Amino acid sequence: MAVGVRHFVKLKLRITANGLRGQTWRVVLFVLGAVLATGAAIGGYALFSLPGLLGEQRAAEVALPLAGGLLMLGWLFLPLVFFGVDESLDPARFALLPLPRRTLIRGLFVASLAGVPAVATFAGTLGMVDSAARLGGPGAAIVAFVGVVTGILLCAAISRSLTSTFATALRSRRARDLATVLLACVAALLGPLQLAALAGAENADWTGLARVADVIAWTPFGAPYSMGLDVAAGRLWAVPVKLALVLATIGLLLWWWSATLERAMLGAVGRSGPRERPESAHKPVAQLVPAWLPRTRFGALTAREMRYWWRETRRRASLITFSVVGVFLPVFIGVSSGSAGAPTGMLIFVGALAAVSLANQFGFEGSAYAANVVAGVPGRLELTSRVAGFSVYVAPTLLVIAVVVGLAVGRPETVPALIGMLAAAYGVGLALVLPISVRMAYALPDTANPFALSSGGGMAKGLLTFAAMLGAAVITVPMQLVAFLAHDVWLWIGLPLGLLYGAGALLLGLRLAGPMLDRRMPELLATVTARQ
Amino acid sequence: MTIPQQRVCPDPALALRGLVKRFDTRLAVAGIDLDVPAGSFFGLLGPNGAGKTTTLSMAVGLLRPDAGQARILSHDVWADPAAAKARIGVLPDGVRLFDRLTGTELLAYHGLLRGMDADVVDQRAAELLDVLALGADNRTLVVDYSAGMKKKIGLACAMLHAPRLLVLDEPFEAVDPVSAALIRDILRRYVSGGGTVVFSSHVMAVVERLCSHVAILAGGTIRLHGTLAEVRGERSLEDVFVEVVGGRMATGSELAWL
Repeated sequence: MAVGVRHFVKLKLRITANGLRGQTWRVVLFVLGAVLATGAAIGGYALFSLPGLLGEQRAAEVALPLAGGLLMLGWLFLPLVFFGVDESLDPARFALLPLPRRTLIRGLFVASLAGVPAVATFAGTLGMVDSAARLGGPGAAIVAFVGVVTGILLCAAISRSLTSTFATALRSRRARDLATVLLACVAALLGPLQLAALAGAENADWTGLARVADVIAWTPFGAPYSMGLDVAAGRLWAVPVKLALVLATIGLLLWWWSATLERAMLGAVGRSGPRERPESAHKPVAQLVPAWLPRTRFGALTAREMRYWWRETRRRASLITFSVVGVFLPVFIGVSSGSAGAPTGMLIFVGALAAVSLANQFGFEGSAYAANVVAGVPGRLELTSRVAGFSVYVAPTLLVIAVVVGLAVGRPETVPALIGMLAAAYGVGLALVLPISVRMAYALPDTANPFALSSGGGMAKGLLTFAAMLGAAVITVPMQLVAFLAHDVWLWIGLPLGLLYGAGALLLGLRLAGPMLDRRMPELLATVTARQ
Repeated sequence: MTIPQQRVCPDPALALRGLVKRFDTRLAVAGIDLDVPAGSFFGLLGPNGAGKTTTLSMAVGLLRPDAGQARILSHDVWADPAAAKARIGVLPDGVRLFDRLTGTELLAYHGLLRGMDADVVDQRAAELLDVLALGADNRTLVVDYSAGMKKKIGLACAMLHAPRLLVLDEPFEAVDPVSAALIRDILRRYVSGGGTVVFSSHVMAVVERLCSHVAILAGGTIRLHGTLAEVRGERSLEDVFVEVVGGRMATGSELAWL
């Protein structure tokens, strides 16, 4: 019997359902995510059908390709930064089955569409079909529908191939520097786009924006969403050209994805042999614990965390992604908005984002945590050392971010205050994230893809991230008020105040989360142990 | 069948009382009472899925039992975990090590985690790596080790702080004969020095060669326990095991297509 696409879809749905079984809070998260997605889909539909309702052909031609392009960007970046990809169908699991590669790729690809985000995106973009129908009749509607379908296919193809590429790049230890540069370049692409969008919005320069939209409509990003409007405008010749463009892009991405997949599948079975590391003449303890750390429990735990943040692909991926996003985002916002006051809000976001990397810190190492349970490591010590190990990387990064942002907006005298704000946000973020990491840990799948999450995990990760950032924004309100009201004094007291605020919040968080961990060590171990 | 009465020791190394664990609807361990006398070499036998790993996990504080007690050298594992955990070394099965460390780093980590003095850790770690032929200067990450090497480094980590009780889950699984002989020798020395070893296995030959006491576990309960001689009687341990556990040993007319 031939293996069809529907087998993959059924398998994916079955795995999703089984993952939810008997895990109440996962079900809650899933439902919450589904409700949010439904809301977003309805909102999107309403928004996209608005130009049609108003009968504004030109507005539609500007708005829809732009919105479609943003949607694609979302599919490109959100998995890397926030959500990860749902790899409940791990390609490596299919390595031993006698499946032709075409069947496998087609199956995995279609199965990746059978998820909440894809369905919600599709439902939302159907509003464009509505618009096209009102503007150009049934013919335009049919073409717009085809466009929307190819659009969602393109979204999925982009996110799959990109995460798979990064996964491959980050896995090979030698290529990690290359991956860093690549990721930086991709993030840098955000800049010009943002500048254009902000400039357009600020000047309300509709002709300029319209020109941008016209260009985007001819790129794979906007083409799927402008086809129907071309029919409505009588430019029938544009439809086959755009369709060809989009289909060729999808084909190219899938081909690329299948090439990286092949490497990933081989890698899972016969991974590259052990790396030759030079022998060390140091004594055992000196090999583990650097000289500047105490040769105690705390030193050992912190040193192990430091090693793990660099040696484990998943952690390294999140560390690199954070560094790049953390440097680029505030700089572009700061430069494009032109005033020194603006990046403060962005910096709180960045500080909290750093802390969010620890939200599932116990999930990273999975059942290896058993060693600490057997040794009876006290909760406070465990959490303190984890924060210390992570901060070894994050603190310098935050310093660099503050300096770069201060220089980029042309106000170097604000750098100490910016450091203070970052420290406060990081401390508050940690205070929020530590109890979460103890209470709401989840097992990560044992795959080679550092962006992979088990089904439902993406929802959890995304929601927790946003909750933590929102919480950090709310709790740092006093700091923001002082910064806003006492502007000149702030330059002086910003640094000490921020450090104190952050440290205080962190101590509170440790006080709360430490005993919590003491009480539920075995339960935590059970939740982070991947079920076979 | 009469269950031989075990000689009651005043202060057993490990005492389990009425341990129960339920996973969803399945009763994995259905009330286990067991005394492991101090100084014994204790083998926990059972078929796959008998509840060996679940029982040992509950005994060492890795898994919270639904009911019952576990005491290590008269310290309650769940009431006074710090005191109990300080006295044991554990080699869990099916659990990952911190495998992004090198073997040497992993040993140092375990030593410091147990609150040992750094100099003592250095000295013992070097000795253990040498004896187990893992190489003190070897900087290979544990994740790149072979299965047998992983078992050996796990054992070294469990023994580093010289605990009074070693709890080993399947210590001989995936270990080559040479390493297995080495591990057997190390464990014998440890027991003759006054330590207690509890290990699980389903390899009869190993248990018969090593153990002073055995217990047979099946379906989540202890079916038979006592000294090796008491349990085995005149027959081979394998015969006793098969009789106690039951189950199918040969095929009939099926599988004709093989």
